[in-house]
Amino acid sequence: MSLQQLNSNSFEEIIYDDCESCLVIFSRKDCHVCKEVVPMLDELKPQYEGKFGFFYVDVEEDKNLFQRFSLKGVPQILFFANGEYQGKLAGKVEEETVEEKIAEVLNA
Amino acid sequence: MANTYDLIIIGGGPAGLSAAIYGGRARLKTLVINKGTIGGLVNTTREIVNYPGYTQVSGPDLMKDFHKHAQSFGVEFLKEEVVSVDLSQEEKTIKTKKGKEFSAKAVIIACGSEPRLLNIPGEKRLRGSGVAYCATCDAEFFEGEDVVVVGSGDQAIEEGMFITKFARKVTVIVLHDEGILDCNKVSAEKAFNNPKIEFVWNATIEEVLGVENVEGVKLKNLKTGSSSELTCQGVFFFVGMVPSTKYLIDTGIEIDRRGYIPVNDLMETNLEGVYAVGDNRIKYLRQVVSAAGDGATAAVAAERYIEELNVFNSNVLQSEKKVLLLFENALINESLEFGTLLEEVNSESADNYKIVKVDMATKKNLAHKYDIKTAPAVIVLEKGKEIKRLTCVLDKDKLKSQLC
Ligand SMILES: Cc1cc2nc3c(=O)[nH]c(=O)nc-3n(C[C@H](O)[C@H](O)[C@H](O)COP(=O)(O)OP(=O)(O)OC[C@H]3O[C@@H](n4cnc5c(N)ncnc54)[C@H](O)[C@@H]3O)c2cc1C
Repeated sequence: MSLQQLNSNSFEEIIYDDCESCLVIFSRKDCHVCKEVVPMLDELKPQYEGKFGFFYVDVEEDKNLFQRFSLKGVPQILFFANGEYQGKLAGKVEEETVEEKIAEVLNA
Repeated sequence: MANTYDLIIIGGGPAGLSAAIYGGRARLKTLVINKGTIGGLVNTTREIVNYPGYTQVSGPDLMKDFHKHAQSFGVEFLKEEVVSVDLSQEEKTIKTKKGKEFSAKAVIIACGSEPRLLNIPGEKRLRGSGVAYCATCDAEFFEGEDVVVVGSGDQAIEEGMFITKFARKVTVIVLHDEGILDCNKVSAEKAFNNPKIEFVWNATIEEVLGVENVEGVKLKNLKTGSSSELTCQGVFFFVGMVPSTKYLIDTGIEIDRRGYIPVNDLMETNLEGVYAVGDNRIKYLRQVVSAAGDGATAAVAAERYIEELNVFNSNVLQSEKKVLLLFENALINESLEFGTLLEEVNSESADNYKIVKVDMATKKNLAHKYDIKTAPAVIVLEKGKEIKRLTCVLDKDKLKSQLC
């Protein structure tokens, strides 16, 4: 996987201090839907190099992060720009849907 | 061409992987195209206790063994989704979502199924915000909360019990009268004895309620028709599966109203060289062990079909001698008599031609390819190309004159 994994500290830095435009997938190892969505993001990432960040949170390792966003399931892709939450996509999402959402966040 | 295979298997669950093992072992150049994780639906099963040889095994572990086994026979794997196919010709073509194209002599369809959606208000909107379909994935998010489970089959009841490890209470919504569940007896008994599980009988779910997250469900009593609301933080849907065969609609392959593919004992569909196995086909028992059996049968049938195809190619299409391709129907006397006469005429003229007989009843594809509708019929081929058609008369001289 080429997505950089975040913990509570690096999450804070990248999302809120650096205010990077990015997405963060909340995932876990034994979730079969995640295993479809994560590789899709992996492949999408190079197209957005330097423009939009792709990150990964393992909900088993960083429980407080999913509790903080009161998430109710994995996978969930959360979108951020300028240190603000821009919405999320849940479950088995298609590549096109993610691309549309990224475009929306970048153009906002 | 690099993208040409003997056998392409669409779907890498137990049915597809078993077919791959047999295909690889028969030295067919075999490719498995599977979206998602290898192993299919079995990956969602924590525990399997009814696959022979494994007293108890986790779904993903069992599938790892299947996968390794197929790899050991040289089978290739591609992680992609198939989105369109053309299976009606002798050369089958397959396109993936990323635009890759493949061709094969035979294709096995092993796409399994996906959870059925009820399409009630709130279900889609609150997915991931309390609406869930996989207990292994999501049960933990409902620690100490109230959860509703919709359905009463094996999956609903077994997953419901797993959710009680985290949730405060699990309420199961059941269509039937009190005491009747669709699941197996062992699970039913365990569920009835589980203090965290409650049941609402004769009921169905009408709506998932909530603004940001699930806050409750609206239920309908099927006996009285009255509606009621139940507060909860999560809803797990286990209302059955639908076959993942949508991309096959309108491709000429026969599919029933529910999306299942009818096949015969050899797993053959209505299209030659195309097979359907596992949960995709109409059958009595949808389990790993029967999926594996289907895969084996289809791969062996495909192997024989490919063998015949190859024989036809070398015997007929690449023949040095001119070929008389004779389409026969064993049920028509005239057809058999004509066959005898044709052999006689040929041997009297120094076996100028090679006669190859084609049984119309079993070689429908060939008949179709040459547009033959009635037997007897004869096509004269030179180096694989049609040079003429004979008028089939039971008159030796007239026949002879056509052959010189
Ligand atoms: C919760 C649950 C518990 C179960 N427990 C048991 C049990 O204990 N024992 C038992 O024997 N059986 C059990 N079963 C049944 C068993 O899982 C199925 O019968 C079996 O998985 C069917 O295998 P399959 O190969 O036909 O399909 P699947 O396992 O569904 O595999 C199909 C594969 O095809 C892929 N695919 C689909 N469409 C495409 C496409 N267009 N392009 C590429 N790939 C595609 C899918 O991603 C998937 O990987 C259970 C089922 C469920 C839902």
